[in-house]
Amino acid sequence: MKIIKVGLTLALTISLVYFLNTSHNFGSPIPPLGKFLSPFQGFWQNAQTANQNSETLSIPCLKDKVTIVYDSVLIPHIYANNDEDLFVAQGFITAKNRLWQMEFQTHAAAGRVSEIIGKAALDFDRTQRRLGMGFAAEVSVKSMESNPTAKLMVDSYTAGINAYIQSLDESSLPIEYKLLGYEPEPWTNLKSAYLLKYMAKTLNTGERDLEMTNALKLFGKETIELLFPDNEGVADPIVDKTNQWNFKPMTLDSVELSVPAQLVHVKPFEKSPPDVGSNNWAVSGTKTATGSPILCNDPHLELNLPSIWYIVHLSAPGINSMGASLPGAPSIISGFNDSIAWGVTNAQRDLVDWFRIEFKDNSKKEYKLDGNWVAAKKRVEEIKVKGEPVYYDTVTYTHQGPVVYDSSFHGAYEKSHFAYRWIAHDPSEEVMTFYKLNRSKNHADYMEALNHYSSPAQNFVFACVNGDIAMRIQGKYPIRRKNEGKFILDGTKSSSDWQAFIPNDQNVMDKNPVRGFVSSANQFPADASYPYYVQASNWEAYRNRRINQVLTELTKCTPQDLMNLQLDNFNLKASESLPTFLLNLDSASLSGEALEAYKILKAWDYKNEIDSEGASYYEAWIRAFVPMVWDEFEDQKVALPWPSTYLTIKLMKEQPELTFFDIKSTPEKETAKEVIRKSFEEAVTVIEKWKSDQSQKILKENPLITTYNVIPRWASYKDAIVNHLLRQKAFSYNIEHGGNSSIVNAHSKTHGPSWRMVVSLEKNVINAWGVYPGGQSGNPGSPYYNNLLNLWTQGKYVKFTFTAESEKMKGKELATITLNPASK
Amino acid sequence: MKFIIQIVVTIIISFALQSFLPWWTLAIGAFGAAYFIDNKALASFAAGFLGAALLWIGMAYYLDHATQSIITEKVNKLLPLNAFVLTGLIGGIVGGLSALTGTFLRQK
Repeated sequence: MKIIKVGLTLALTISLVYFLNTSHNFGSPIPPLGKFLSPFQGFWQNAQTANQNSETLSIPCLKDKVTIVYDSVLIPHIYANNDEDLFVAQGFITAKNRLWQMEFQTHAAAGRVSEIIGKAALDFDRTQRRLGMGFAAEVSVKSMESNPTAKLMVDSYTAGINAYIQSLDESSLPIEYKLLGYEPEPWTNLKSAYLLKYMAKTLNTGERDLEMTNALKLFGKETIELLFPDNEGVADPIVDKTNQWNFKPMTLDSVELSVPAQLVHVKPFEKSPPDVGSNNWAVSGTKTATGSPILCNDPHLELNLPSIWYIVHLSAPGINSMGASLPGAPSIISGFNDSIAWGVTNAQRDLVDWFRIEFKDNSKKEYKLDGNWVAAKKRVEEIKVKGEPVYYDTVTYTHQGPVVYDSSFHGAYEKSHFAYRWIAHDPSEEVMTFYKLNRSKNHADYMEALNHYSSPAQNFVFACVNGDIAMRIQGKYPIRRKNEGKFILDGTKSSSDWQAFIPNDQNVMDKNPVRGFVSSANQFPADASYPYYVQASNWEAYRNRRINQVLTELTKCTPQDLMNLQLDNFNLKASESLPTFLLNLDSASLSGEALEAYKILKAWDYKNEIDSEGASYYEAWIRAFVPMVWDEFEDQKVALPWPSTYLTIKLMKEQPELTFFDIKSTPEKETAKEVIRKSFEEAVTVIEKWKSDQSQKILKENPLITTYNVIPRWASYKDAIVNHLLRQKAFSYNIEHGGNSSIVNAHSKTHGPSWRMVVSLEKNVINAWGVYPGGQSGNPGSPYYNNLLNLWTQGKYVKFTFTAESEKMKGKELATITLNPASK
Repeated sequence: MKFIIQIVVTIIISFALQSFLPWWTLAIGAFGAAYFIDNKALASFAAGFLGAALLWIGMAYYLDHATQSIITEKVNKLLPLNAFVLTGLIGGIVGGLSALTGTFLRQK
């Protein structure tokens, strides 16, 4: 009897403990509850106060002592005596604050999310693998490790991260590991390579060659040239040196397109939204109050927590630089040092192509090239899936790259095969660019640093204390023949391959232009006399002109003036379209809600401020208008590109009778005018619906209130959110901020200025400010998780403390962490 | 009286064990206390439950109070029950069952 009782209770206890020590999934995932809730090691242990402890730690692989001083917003100022120690410390302190994010992002890059969250992420993981992210990262780490400086840098950075991982115990694990029930694995150089490829994917995958090929087949060449011109003629290229491109360009024979006989029936992978972009500019001393140049940068990415950026100050013999780093990669990406400042925006150029491949048979072992059968390679991707067997995915590679789609992946109805050629698959050494930029003293150093840079192509803005300002659009660009890269190319001929690349010194660049400033906002790179064919899926049309307009008018400007420009909410798109919209309404016939909307729009000052109601109505209107115009594109069963909003507005003004304005589902023949009216009605309905939804929500939450009048303020209508990387609501924040995509302050619902930096490069002192929507700590239990987000939302900046001597940080420090070499 | 003693001993042993060892040593603490103190089955279960629950809630409260609930208010949004209640329940059930096992082993 006793044995049975003891046996039963013991078995029950052990099963319970086992159950509470493992994660489960009953519809929604459940953490290992015992572990997670235990106040001795669970989530409770992640709670922190604003105080930080000073500590002295022993770290293996250090050569000498390193001092890390945290300032009041938890920015680490790292003082080391040599390069290796500097990068060990950068790796260590970044991991201390951002470890989970660093690992999660590299898992995402590598297509390993299923391992953590289960089969819901399998399609995402397969996409990553099939785009050749692993192939690209392996090539990249090989070239990194073959350069002694780059190798030293990534080896040290990796060692620093691993020193931190080894110091962790159950209770100090970041909360996300506790929640999902897994543990960090050792960091490797490959993971840093993955992170850089992740950025490349975010910035390069706006391409739409397959979609364009379908459009060409459906609508014909003439329509394509009208709706998708290489250059929309927005004016204001990044560099305008008309007829002063003094070099002899390389030329190639023309290339043939390979439009397949059938429409392309693949379901393209999810592309980066057009909200991904950036602004940067540098103003010369002739236009500033101090007579010294000022440089500004704000990259627009998806806004997440923990933030994509981590501010750090790196100081060692030969280097004293500060700015935004990417957790997972050594050095500073957008920042400044004692002599120069630099920043980046995406160069947009088409660096992705699709080649139609002819395989000998279904085994896809050989493909046709110049009349011969050539062996294809197979790469087997092993995808671990939480709670499921391992998924093996075999991807075929031609010399161009991976064949992304096939009958097993997004191509059930597709007979043709397309190989994916992407510049990020090529060997490159971007880390050397940043190593050298961090140490650059002048324009010549900056130019040399950029010679190492291939991908993703960026507009590098530059300013120097000696007064120089510059812009260079750096990347490894294949020399394009007319129309090459817009549509599917013929993969059976080696002549359609990328033949050569534009030499670095023939890339678009400018130094000290007469107008007194350089700027870029993802627009067309150069004036029409630039001798190379330039093409992209999307050139920015509005931010760039607004920036240039404001910069042209500014004189004796201060850093505050330029902060105001970064925060500028003027909606140029609205100012160019709304007057025509309103003119086409029959205002006399309007009544009720429509009349109210008309009045609000009529009175609107074109600014997307937090409280602007006009901004909400305009947004609803343009969102209704554009799809109504391009209904011909929506009807089709295949993937198609969409003409840009800029072009849509231009056509509305210049060719209102164009057949595309006819709405196909109605018997009448519409012109732009009718589409404007119909979309206005729809917009008013949308806003009214939104208002009633909001008011019902509020009444439900507050039973004591009987009526609630909802005002469509722009910030409420936009309903912006900064999501935790896991989309975990509890760790995310709804925010109220002005701006929108296509506005200089490019903050849309989920994307926006992910880092704002302003640097005044004065003769005796560098004055610098910066902020990002997040916080230096990645821990949701830390006050430093979202403290910068609050400043960012209010349009405020942090004035940086920047000194090469650690002693001068006295009195400004929150805590000091001393790292000593571990005795062997 | 023995009931109170079992609670106190459970708290002391479990606190010591969990300060250095994994969370499930809570079960060992509650088991040991029950084995040596020898209450009746139901009382032992209750004492183990209360000892473990009080220890976990107390410790959680200490951490929560020192950090102005910074993590608790977030985690509350993702748990089906209040974090303190759930912590007490989970700790309590493990403590109670372990104590019961200890008592049964002791009984003739």
